[in-house]
Amino acid sequence: MRDVYAIGIGITSFTRLEFPLSEIAAYPVMMALKDAGIRKVDHLYVANMGSGRVNHQTGLASAVVDTLSLTPAGAEVIENGPASGGSAVKQGFLAVASGMHDVVAVTGAERMREVNNLEVTEFVATLTHPLAEYIYGVTLPSLAGMFTRAYMDKYGVTSRHLAMVAVKNQNNALLNEFAHIQQAITVEGILDSPEALTNNPYVADPLRFFDCCPVSDGGASVILATREVAEKTGRPLVRLAGIGQATDTHCVHERDEPTDLLAVRRAAAQSFKMAGVSPSDVGVAELHDAFTILEIVESEEVGFFKKGEGHLALERGETQIGGKIPINPSGGLKGRGHPVGATGVAQVYEIVHQLRGEAGKRQVADPRIGFTCNFGGFGNNVVCLTFAREN
Amino acid sequence: MKREIYAYRCRKCGHLHYPYRMVCAKCGENEHNEFDPEPLPTTGTLVTFTELYALPGDFEVPTLGLGIVELENGIRITGQLQIDEPAGGMKVIGEVEVVRSEEYEKYYGMIFREA
Repeated sequence: MRDVYAIGIGITSFTRLEFPLSEIAAYPVMMALKDAGIRKVDHLYVANMGSGRVNHQTGLASAVVDTLSLTPAGAEVIENGPASGGSAVKQGFLAVASGMHDVVAVTGAERMREVNNLEVTEFVATLTHPLAEYIYGVTLPSLAGMFTRAYMDKYGVTSRHLAMVAVKNQNNALLNEFAHIQQAITVEGILDSPEALTNNPYVADPLRFFDCCPVSDGGASVILATREVAEKTGRPLVRLAGIGQATDTHCVHERDEPTDLLAVRRAAAQSFKMAGVSPSDVGVAELHDAFTILEIVESEEVGFFKKGEGHLALERGETQIGGKIPINPSGGLKGRGHPVGATGVAQVYEIVHQLRGEAGKRQVADPRIGFTCNFGGFGNNVVCLTFAREN
Repeated sequence: MKREIYAYRCRKCGHLHYPYRMVCAKCGENEHNEFDPEPLPTTGTLVTFTELYALPGDFEVPTLGLGIVELENGIRITGQLQIDEPAGGMKVIGEVEVVRSEEYEKYYGMIFREA
């Protein structure tokens, strides 16, 4: 296999966007091409989950490649639920590593706010098992609520720990001009104040409003290329060094241990093994905090902390930007937002930005290894990526 | 008519699945349809639960109780709860009733109450 480098990155604001989905997908590609100093690519991968259902548009990749005047380059959509972005980056890696292409663009995009809240909840709930979960009214927040309760009972995680994740990530998002949520919050304000039940109502008990990521529109892109092409850009070399992917049972109730996220554990281990590094080498990580509990549990499952001790590390401030292992300096899904198809690529955007040392106010001190965890379904399809800065 | 929910037992190794799979999760050796359906028991223990306030369409109730129950044969199932104060470890008993109604269609599933 050939080595593969991330040579250009681009992103849109994550918010409500009044542009066609194809433009939300195309704009960050333009930024990424400009960042890399090139005009053409051999192939385009578009990560998206809901264009057919939410936006009444199919064959999205054909629209995006033409919008960018990149025809006749090949193009296709990669759909893997909320892990579509990670999957598309993986496909781009395979194309370059195999020698089939030298330069590919990967873009992730979603326009979820075109429809109302009910429809968007329903759309995301179609990820669940149609006969054994969906018919009951099971949604992703309800699976997360049940998971959180089991975790609290077993490991002593409290609502206060969850609120600390929300506060940390929303504070980080204030340093990210592209982040959806631009609001400072405090643990007291959302848990203890007399208004807490009004400003932070329950969504899926014990999860509350500020434990859940927002519904966002947005797009993010990365250009992947060979070392030869990467060296010509004159930019810091960031290599996509490790990829891991693992699946788990479709139904959450079938898992032997209700508090385990085995797909995260396995995908992370594969990714670190391929990169030849260990979790303790990681200097900055973007984890999939669609719900605050997930950041805590993923930080354990990927190996940063022992199982059941992630919330203690959070208490000690180890996951803050100045801490031992900064998690979600971008604001994460909680602060940056979660346009489902775009999220995995937006995580890559942040990690490349950080490894290059170009992240401005939210820059982590000199990271050499960066890591992303992109979580599909309720942990039934997970893609983990490891990046290394080489010069 | 008594409605039941079925689990599926692999004819090669006897492993019981809920929901249905085309290939046995344990032995992986069976051919298509080599499973024997058997009705799920209705009593069990509540493993975890939530009260959902942000409901999907089709549900005209203010909140919805949902939970995972470990049935007496060890199989776990997701179902709706009609329990005022649910608690982990609570003994529950289920019945197959309408759990979701759309304009032209009704879906049946397990609703659990305190045993």
